[in-house]
Amino acid sequence: MKIKIRQAVILGFALIAAGLAVFLVKAALLHYPLSPGERATLWDFELYIEFDGRNQPARIEAFLPPSDVGRAFLQEAFYDGSFGRSLVAESETRNRKAVWTYRYPANKKVLRYAAQTMGETRSTPLPLSFREAGAQVTPFEADPVKRQAFIVLSGNLRQRSADERSFADLAIAEIFEESSGGEPYADEISALLDGNPGVAGRLELVRQLLNSQGIPARIAGGVYLTEASRRVEPRRWLEYYVDREDFRFFPAGAPGRFFTIWYGPEPLLEATGVDNLDFQIALKSQETAASGVAENAPGALGAFGRSVGFGALPLTTQLVYQVLVTIPVGITLLVFLRQFIGFKTLGTFMPVLIGIAFRETALLNGILLFSLLVGLGLALRFYLERLQLLLVPRLAVVLIFVVIAMAVFAVLMAETNQAMGLSISLFPMVILTMTIERMSIIWEESSAGEALKQGFGSLVAASLAYLVMTNPQIEYLMYRFPELLIVLMGLCVLMGRYTGLRLLELWRFKALAS
Amino acid sequence: MFKTFKALRANGVMGINERNVAYVAALNPRKFLARVDDKFLTKKLAEPAGIPVPELYGVIENARDMKRLEEFISHPDGFVIKPAQGSQGKGIIVVEGPLKGGWRLASGKRIDLEGMKFQINNMISGMYSLGGQPDKALIEYRVKFDDVFGKVSFRGVPDIRVIVLKGIPVFAMLRLPTAESDGKANLHKGGVGVGIDLATGRTLQAMQHDHFIEIHPDTAHPLEDIQTPFWEDILLMAAKSYEVTGLGYIGVDVVLDREKGPLLLELNARPGISIQIANRRGLRFVLDKAMALGDEKKSPEERVEIAKTLSDAAPVKPAMIEPADA
Repeated sequence: MKIKIRQAVILGFALIAAGLAVFLVKAALLHYPLSPGERATLWDFELYIEFDGRNQPARIEAFLPPSDVGRAFLQEAFYDGSFGRSLVAESETRNRKAVWTYRYPANKKVLRYAAQTMGETRSTPLPLSFREAGAQVTPFEADPVKRQAFIVLSGNLRQRSADERSFADLAIAEIFEESSGGEPYADEISALLDGNPGVAGRLELVRQLLNSQGIPARIAGGVYLTEASRRVEPRRWLEYYVDREDFRFFPAGAPGRFFTIWYGPEPLLEATGVDNLDFQIALKSQETAASGVAENAPGALGAFGRSVGFGALPLTTQLVYQVLVTIPVGITLLVFLRQFIGFKTLGTFMPVLIGIAFRETALLNGILLFSLLVGLGLALRFYLERLQLLLVPRLAVVLIFVVIAMAVFAVLMAETNQAMGLSISLFPMVILTMTIERMSIIWEESSAGEALKQGFGSLVAASLAYLVMTNPQIEYLMYRFPELLIVLMGLCVLMGRYTGLRLLELWRFKALAS
Repeated sequence: MFKTFKALRANGVMGINERNVAYVAALNPRKFLARVDDKFLTKKLAEPAGIPVPELYGVIENARDMKRLEEFISHPDGFVIKPAQGSQGKGIIVVEGPLKGGWRLASGKRIDLEGMKFQINNMISGMYSLGGQPDKALIEYRVKFDDVFGKVSFRGVPDIRVIVLKGIPVFAMLRLPTAESDGKANLHKGGVGVGIDLATGRTLQAMQHDHFIEIHPDTAHPLEDIQTPFWEDILLMAAKSYEVTGLGYIGVDVVLDREKGPLLLELNARPGISIQIANRRGLRFVLDKAMALGDEKKSPEERVEIAKTLSDAAPVKPAMIEPADA
């Protein structure tokens, strides 16, 4: 007894946990939207490279967004022309490079790379591997002058800062402050920036300063999605990790959304053997369904998300499942109504089936039609009682009568232009017939009151089941996250071992409570 | 609401869920259920075990048996027709005797042979059986009930329901028909339930429709402190039904016949829980005590002795009438 209870409880919670785990993976990691119709902005990213061939071996290298990062980008496309293309992954920097080559290109040539992305925000976490503290290195081994300047600068910054975080803040402020001449170490800085005073050079210097203190830092290159246009400048920024926090420093002002393409100080594009190299990055935003974006997520996780879903089915089958997966919700509700509230219904799951029929008729019409058909059926059933027909033929007569009544309704309604008449044909007539039979037996054997009570209870349960099953949020959740079926199963297992009193029993046994 | 919940729990009141999970599902093996669900089988098993049952006049299972109907029912004292697999008293026809070419029913109505055949056909085509399976119609002796409960019954046959846990009678109740229940002793139809003290067989307090009452609603006769005759025999019959069925949690329904004494009417593998109101105490503590004292090796007689010691296991609500909606 005790073992059975424990087993059932363990099984129930295990099912719930398993279902919720899959649900959380999809919701939190793959960003499946939690409500229907959620929109997401998707950016079309295009890298367009143009150059003139010189009739000598040509090699064009360009960084491409790395495919292993947790951010979503999809639908990669290449236009290579006659060039050979190879993709190179650099494991250390996590960069990905496309290398286009051709032996003797002539005239104007065009290469293209396109992808779609949702981009990143400043809250997108940096990869875990990045967080390992680097070794403290002092650069400029070969140049004693620069080396001396670097040591002076870093030593001074260190002196003026309290910890790593304030060191980083100070280094950025010092190096990116426009040289108004007042800084005490302007000379050292300009010496270190010698020949490369642009943003990239300054970022590189900050990176070196941070690394010298053992702070993980790297330069990232990419585009600001907020600048979407035909021609977008690639941008550089600094990513560093200090005090267990991710930081990004954007020299050109922080964008709301950006898209990382590569890491390191190198330029986006390098070419040999070509003339008039020009490239252009185009960004175009488009609104799309968020679910579509999540369903196309790359990698093993994305494939897992797709495998727990109906995306692979033909559309018509998908529509069937869209309805089917809501039925367990109605069933679970019914279990609750019966085991915890103490609802009395005609037939175990009959209210859920009636609830499904209500989908076609809408609630109020459904209740009206159901009551009308059951009422007429009962009247016929009482008349048939007098004829003393045998059970099975009598059921058949009632069923045929139900079909006729439905047909008559449909025709009458159609003549008066009432659309509701047509929906009636989907009422489950066998269920109706059995309901009529059960009700009439209860009517005779117990009382009319009892029959009406159970009929009313069934109707209330059917209405509740209908409301739950047609709730757009629930419909969407069940369809998008079918793993919730496992959660419902677990709930039903747990409810199956509920041995406490039902709500209506509290009222029934009230006399025994003191 | 939560207070009521807690109070009922503290008083050991058992709900349907607990009965189903902890007793019916745990103690009543499914393979033995046919022994109680089929009254024909119950009769065949009970008689050789020394449990008296109403005499069987005939069984109708098909059209060929139906030809012998008139032979089966040629009893001037009346008879009862019931579906072998009916539940909750559904489909039972009590015939009191011949009346002008037909028969007089206990309800006062008249029935002719055609009507009777129609009802029997309904029974054997499964109208009252679970899942509509084909059934048998039993025609048996009509109990002439003992006058001891005459003053507290309105028509129909009063019966005694004993709940038996692993062969130990744990709760008992007298069920009385009322005008409202149409001569049937079923509580949910408006019959009156009166708790019976297991040790003495004297009636305790009473209930109707889940409310406490003191007098019979139709005869206005006080219901308390009536001695049930043959009490020892009834307890023994109830205890023996454990060996007959192999079911650990059953309701045993016994009627008192004027001439034949107590007769086993039927067994129920899912006895109702209203008996708690009739006894004004919860089942759980009594069941727990019986479970602790129970022992497979004990004889029915020994188990009856155990039954008489159970009454102190659960607190009894004071006999004072409390309106249930107060």
